[in-house]
Amino acid sequence: MPQSNFNNPMMDVADLPQIQELDKQRLSEKYASTNLKVGACVVLLLLIIAFILYFQPFIEVSQNIRQNLLFISSAIIIIVSLVVLLGYQADIRKSYTLRDLDIHYSSGLFFRKTVSQPITRIQHIELKRGPIDRKINLAKLQVFSAGGAMHTFEIPGLPLETAQQLRQYIIEHKDVTNHEK
Amino acid sequence: MKNDISQQQESKINDSAEQKIGTDDHSANWQQLSPIAILYFTASSFKQIFSNAFYLIPVLALNYKSIIQHPYIWIPSILGLVAILIVFAVLSFKVYRFRLTDNNIEIRSGVISKKHLNLPFERVQNVKIEQPLYYRFSGHACLQLDTAGSAKNEAKIIALKLELAEKLKSQILQHTKQSKPIGESKFASSQTSPSNNTTETTLNTRSLSDLIIHGITSNRIWIFLGGLAPFFDDIATHIGDWANKLGMDFKALFSLQTHSMLEVGLYALSLTILIMLILVSFSVIGSIISFYGYTLNKLDDRYIRRSGLLTKHEVSMRLSRLQMVVRKQDWLDLILKRINLKFEQNSSIENSMNASAATNKIIVPSVKLNECQDLIDDAYPQNKLAQLINQQGFISISKRFIARNIVLIWMPIWIVASLICWFNHQAILILITTTLLALFSGLTVLRWRRWGIAQDQNFIYIRKGLIGVDYYCFPTFKVQQTKFLQTELMKRRELASVKFVLASGALKIPLISQELAFGLINDCLFKVESSKKSWM
Repeated sequence: MPQSNFNNPMMDVADLPQIQELDKQRLSEKYASTNLKVGACVVLLLLIIAFILYFQPFIEVSQNIRQNLLFISSAIIIIVSLVVLLGYQADIRKSYTLRDLDIHYSSGLFFRKTVSQPITRIQHIELKRGPIDRKINLAKLQVFSAGGAMHTFEIPGLPLETAQQLRQYIIEHKDVTNHEK
Repeated sequence: MKNDISQQQESKINDSAEQKIGTDDHSANWQQLSPIAILYFTASSFKQIFSNAFYLIPVLALNYKSIIQHPYIWIPSILGLVAILIVFAVLSFKVYRFRLTDNNIEIRSGVISKKHLNLPFERVQNVKIEQPLYYRFSGHACLQLDTAGSAKNEAKIIALKLELAEKLKSQILQHTKQSKPIGESKFASSQTSPSNNTTETTLNTRSLSDLIIHGITSNRIWIFLGGLAPFFDDIATHIGDWANKLGMDFKALFSLQTHSMLEVGLYALSLTILIMLILVSFSVIGSIISFYGYTLNKLDDRYIRRSGLLTKHEVSMRLSRLQMVVRKQDWLDLILKRINLKFEQNSSIENSMNASAATNKIIVPSVKLNECQDLIDDAYPQNKLAQLINQQGFISISKRFIARNIVLIWMPIWIVASLICWFNHQAILILITTTLLALFSGLTVLRWRRWGIAQDQNFIYIRKGLIGVDYYCFPTFKVQQTKFLQTELMKRRELASVKFVLASGALKIPLISQELAFGLINDCLFKVESSKKSWM
């Protein structure tokens, strides 16, 4: 019966902590630049593949097919490079904020969004590190709530130490340890 | 996936819980099911095959004439399939063992891949008793235990004696109550002891006429029609033959040479109404099958819903697990003044199994307006939904919603469609695409009119819908996560969208004023973090 003896006095909204005044922390500088480098490698690889396909001497193909190939491959390469460049722009705009009782993550290039996760609702935490992350000593923090897999709270590109500190902070947080007592 | 946090809690809970449920007659040994379970295994694998074979229906429909012509192939293959099913069912029954100890249940099952499931009682979210038709004669039932986790951790004891199942259920629920937060459990134990656990108060029952109304208003018949589409031709000829035998001749009936225009029109109209009537009656039958004998009872802080004509379902939910109340009214409901009321709980259970999703939620079908408000008030005594609806207390979203959706969604589609028509020299079709554009723009305006949000000290209320209108009401402290969304353009106009993530799913409210959006999120975070109450 959560509602029966519930008492919550009115507060002036202006006195509440404000999420519009978050003190935003940048992600590791290596994160955006590495993503850009990886993207550049992918574009380069695509270029090489297209080049080989176009100038390969093994199979005789008609002029028509060669023309189409040129068109399709250049379209793909232009789109991929655009995605990479926009991705870089988006990456350098990502930021997070840790407050005493909640954690926030802002992202998005055109569609800006700020996700706020109260620490008391956290179910469990994971640090994820792919091969590239391990190489450059970064980590991705994943925070799971009961909101479901669609709404996993994620902060990518954290320096490993920061990520571990954040993880430790959340685990030892009184809101989490007192959860069901 | 377990983490350090929940394991810490678990050990604490285990200590406190062990004292309560001590000696029990049915514990410690591995037990076998009663042989009637073979029936269940057969039926369930049969169901599974059918739901998988659903995708094969178009293929079969195309080739069914040639299949029918070769009975020496399809008869033995179907017989073989049935034989395999039965053998498999017997084997499943043979290997199935379960064991109950003081505070957990273990189940071993699986013919080919062995499974061993160990479920502590305090992890149980929800206990359901299900009684399929074929169990009713022998007095058996299935006991299903849902967990907060994934579908794989779901336990189902197939074929228990009904009394034993009931007993076990109350035992498990008693157990989960033990592991409640300290403040609450004191309150509960002073109020109720296991002995007076049997006095349930009935909150709502549904009569047959209510179910008929529900069947009519929630008409899902178009889906059924879609499934029948490949057979239309055959059905038509069969009906034609049959009508001929009865002495009716459709061709003559609809011939304009022998009858006047008015007569033919009347025949066509009555025929359409007849077909609609048949289709609606299917939906009514469906509603009666799933909701027959509907009762919603309350026992302490638990809601118990029982219904079902063939398979009797029982769902119980603790009030504290309730995440959100949804009050849905479609256009027909608006005319008939009925409401479908839903009590939503943790959705990770529901997503896992589509088949049982409908039975997992506590839905009250087609209730009257006053009954609906009584039920909402019972669950959330302090809610102000009724006043808000009467006084139009909802804040509308920005009118830019209309312009945005028309310009960004419908106009591009219209332009592309019109251009395609133009280049294919079908200029007349542009008229149709333009009408469609007007229609969808009209619907967008309706959508905008419905969308609104309101808030009071304890709850957030969202209104949305298209022609019908739905109200969502949830306690602010149950929110799991909030999202603030804004594009550059919205920022210039000081607008923003907000998304509330709850354990039962996410709710979005688009294009409200930036100030309101910030206020909602700040207030929501404040309430979540200051209340210290569990969302479960």
